[in-house]
Amino acid sequence: MTKLTGVTHRKVQVPSNKERTAFLFMRLSGVFLLFLAVSHVLVQHVVNSVHDLDIQFVIERWSSVTIRGIDLLLLFFALIHGVNGLRNILEDYVHSAKAMKVINVLLVVFLVISLIFASVAIITFNPGT
Amino acid sequence: MSTLSLTIRESFRYRGHSGQWSWLAHRISGLGILAFLSIHVWETAMANYNPAFYDWIVTVFKNPFFGVGEIFLVGAVLYHAFNGIRITILDFKPEWWQYQAKTAKFAWALFLIIFIPLGIYLFLAIGTYCTELAGEGSSCWAIPPFPG
Repeated sequence: MTKLTGVTHRKVQVPSNKERTAFLFMRLSGVFLLFLAVSHVLVQHVVNSVHDLDIQFVIERWSSVTIRGIDLLLLFFALIHGVNGLRNILEDYVHSAKAMKVINVLLVVFLVISLIFASVAIITFNPGT
Repeated sequence: MSTLSLTIRESFRYRGHSGQWSWLAHRISGLGILAFLSIHVWETAMANYNPAFYDWIVTVFKNPFFGVGEIFLVGAVLYHAFNGIRITILDFKPEWWQYQAKTAKFAWALFLIIFIPLGIYLFLAIGTYCTELAGEGSSCWAIPPFPG
């Protein structure tokens, strides 16, 4: 392995802009998701099993306000992280600024509708029915 | 379309050593997770809006076809998480960059150590589920009729 010697690294103070905020959000949400998403996957897919999943399971799970709160956090962090990640990937391959603008609008529309649809479902879920 | 095949071909061709494979695996796992997450968010919301539809789609997800997909999903989440933390640490600690090849291997090792037993466990669970249904006279491959 070649060891880099005499490497100079500089920390540059970047003035605040949208891309910098998105960059920082990806790192910050990534750290949250390490706990939220990984524990969700381990609990729901390994400890519990998809094979036991039915509406009764959801009723029991969402009767806890804490779990609903965790699921809401997970929903927002994961979906925003994922859609922004998709935007990052597309920006590498779509070279037309016009097309990228259309894609960005579509991504935001998909993101906002999904977040509203799902968070309303979590918040208004009535375990009694 | 030619751009797409070129992109895919060149992603695999470029010889960037371990960092290249981490980058590619991070992208593919991220896209895979987002694809599942998009379906998962809408499907789970149906537990509130249409419980009968929810019970139907969840039964479809118990099909071994999706069971194998679930193993890929668990793998994708684990690798994406471990490699993502590696990226984050190196972004904020550029002085550790000289160890990036080692950290890339470490992320792969951590992923494999955790994923291999989980993958085997999940694979065996598919077999248990199918045996159970076969004992009841039905098949784990059958898709239930769409609710009215």
